[in-house]
Amino acid sequence: MPLLFAHLMQTGFGGFYDGIAHLFLTPSDLLLVLGLALLAGQQGPQGGRLLLTLLPLSWGIGLAVGQRWGLDLTLALLTTVLFTLVGVLVALSLRLSAQVLAFTVAGSGLLFGLINGFTMPPAPSGLPLDVLGVVSAVAVLSVLISAQVAATRSTGFCIAVRVAGSWIAAAGLLSLGLLFKA
Amino acid sequence: MSRFKLRSWLAIVVFALTLVLPRTLSAHELLPGYLDLHETAAGQYSVLWKVPLQQGKRLPITPRFPEDCQLQGDLDSKLESSAWIYHGSLSCTSSLKGKPIVIDGLAAVGTDVLVRFQPADAVRPETHLLKPVKQTTILGTDVDSEPSGLVAYLRLGIEHILLGVDHLLLLLGLVMIVRDGWMLLKTVTAFTLANSITLSVSAIGIVQVPTAPLNAAIALSILFIGTEVVRFMRGQTSFTLRHPWVLACGFGLLHGFGYARGLAELGLPHHELLLALLLFNVGIEIGQDLFVVLVLALERAFRQLQIRWPLWVRRMPAWTIGCAGAYWTIETTLSLIKGGV
Amino acid sequence: MRWRWLVLALLLSLLPSGALAHVPEGGASSVMAGLLHPVTGIDHVVAMVAVGLWGAVLGAPAIWLLPVAFPMVMAFGGVLGLLDLPLPGVETGIALSALVLGVLVMLQQRLPLTVAAVLVGLFALLHGYAHGMELPDGADALLFSLAFVGATGLLHLVGIGLGEARRLAWGHRLLQVVGAVIAVVGVWSLVQLGGA
Repeated sequence: MPLLFAHLMQTGFGGFYDGIAHLFLTPSDLLLVLGLALLAGQQGPQGGRLLLTLLPLSWGIGLAVGQRWGLDLTLALLTTVLFTLVGVLVALSLRLSAQVLAFTVAGSGLLFGLINGFTMPPAPSGLPLDVLGVVSAVAVLSVLISAQVAATRSTGFCIAVRVAGSWIAAAGLLSLGLLFKA
Repeated sequence: MSRFKLRSWLAIVVFALTLVLPRTLSAHELLPGYLDLHETAAGQYSVLWKVPLQQGKRLPITPRFPEDCQLQGDLDSKLESSAWIYHGSLSCTSSLKGKPIVIDGLAAVGTDVLVRFQPADAVRPETHLLKPVKQTTILGTDVDSEPSGLVAYLRLGIEHILLGVDHLLLLLGLVMIVRDGWMLLKTVTAFTLANSITLSVSAIGIVQVPTAPLNAAIALSILFIGTEVVRFMRGQTSFTLRHPWVLACGFGLLHGFGYARGLAELGLPHHELLLALLLFNVGIEIGQDLFVVLVLALERAFRQLQIRWPLWVRRMPAWTIGCAGAYWTIETTLSLIKGGV
Repeated sequence: MRWRWLVLALLLSLLPSGALAHVPEGGASSVMAGLLHPVTGIDHVVAMVAVGLWGAVLGAPAIWLLPVAFPMVMAFGGVLGLLDLPLPGVETGIALSALVLGVLVMLQQRLPLTVAAVLVGLFALLHGYAHGMELPDGADALLFSLAFVGATGLLHLVGIGLGEARRLAWGHRLLQVVGAVIAVVGVWSLVQLGGA
């Protein structure tokens, strides 16, 4: 992943909305949140609740730590592998134990938050609105999608979810190949 | 005993929040600067420069003109209620077309500046929107190729609502006291229509509302909706809870004046005003509807996930609305009494 | 109720590409390249549509197993191609795949699920490999891949949609015609290969 998307996007609406835009304009982050939300939703309402508690929290912690370190790293390979794996899990529609899900969610949230934090300059003063924006966007997106997946039990919808997972995994695999080639 | 303890702790937290929160999330006032350059003869421009005031002080922003231009005479300046206004003339050795205009100091103040430029041969002026992240623009460039011009008003509308925490809190309160879809539709429609009406009549200048009492009234409306939400959650009822659309209509009228303030201070000429007004209004409605849809979607998602919030979380929105409303009411009333802006 | 999940699935699938539409500098061109890549070769296009079609003919569970498994196997093939690992007979295999799938659709042949899965999996591998060999350098990897996978998936959907037409009165005839056309394209590709 080139640094094209790494830096904070400027919406002109202030830090909070810049943070939201950052999530939506960073494909790997968006795919991870999407994948995790689908995966958690597949585990039912308790999966969604777990996601809502852990993902924003771990993402926020990662961000705070990453901002402090401020390394110039995007770890593209690692992030791609992570969301590819999540995509595969969704495609396989596996029942995961709560511990495994919690570990996956918290681990990837920490890592992605950390990488976000590397590229976001610390707020000059006052509230870190951009951090708040990223975390709220993560929370809202994950709760909306996982709730929909958890609540809909029709076969058609479950298949659509698995197809979405397989697309995420396929895109991740292909870009892994491209990254290796480059 | 433990319940009592929890309550007293909460009271302390809420009190602390009341002191801190509204200060950081202070009600957004849209105060863009405005620079008008009108070509009177070849290379001669009349300049109008409006600098918004913030808490009675002039924002530290100044336009920088190209090297070959000279400001003639002293800028004739006067202080109006909400802005410093400068008149002057600019004489340049060649046309300003294709030259850059920079607004110095824009990055530090976090406001927008509208630049309007009308060459002698142009039928209508071109409009550029400068922001803290984009402090410069090239005059005479094709306006259509960049999202400035009239679209800037759409943007301003969306921005005004998305950054207007006071307006968003009112909307949140309205959504919270509505019970079903039909009632919601009525309420949202009433609010939209009402604020469109007052926004229009106020922006065109038919009705003038002094700023300080308006601010106080808007703050009071938020406090009021906070108490209504609490009443609703306690299972009590009132006339406004049975007919939220009446409330929405009344407060829509009020907040429409608030929205108009953002537009009126731009000092727009009349031939573009109507379209700009429409776009600004559409922007406001887009922002409002986005927010309402988001709140409803979240509510639905929480239900789908079968989340049982603890009592204090369920009470949080109402308390936030009420506390912020109370704080703003006190603040604006004080400044009203002191006769400030 | 059926249309509700369909709309949602479509929205979900559009979500990333919708967001990507605003990506600055080079991002847009990567997306376009990714979207267009799967539709550049006629043999690829018809094979993808044929996969969807045949899935519809096979009915559940193949109709949903194929769209889930295909992208991943294809991506795997793509990685093989990208890394220049040797895989013999790719071009012939692709031309053959159109022919075989076309005939299967035309005859509305139902094979056992495992046989079907192995067959389609093999074709997915070959197609992915061929694409992988041709993938451009310098594109934004993830955006390109996303668009690529999305375009392929949409081709599948077209096939499934066409296949669902067999529930209509004239659907059988339509399926036979489409299958025949696909088979002809396969033959044509084979002839081209032989001529070259």
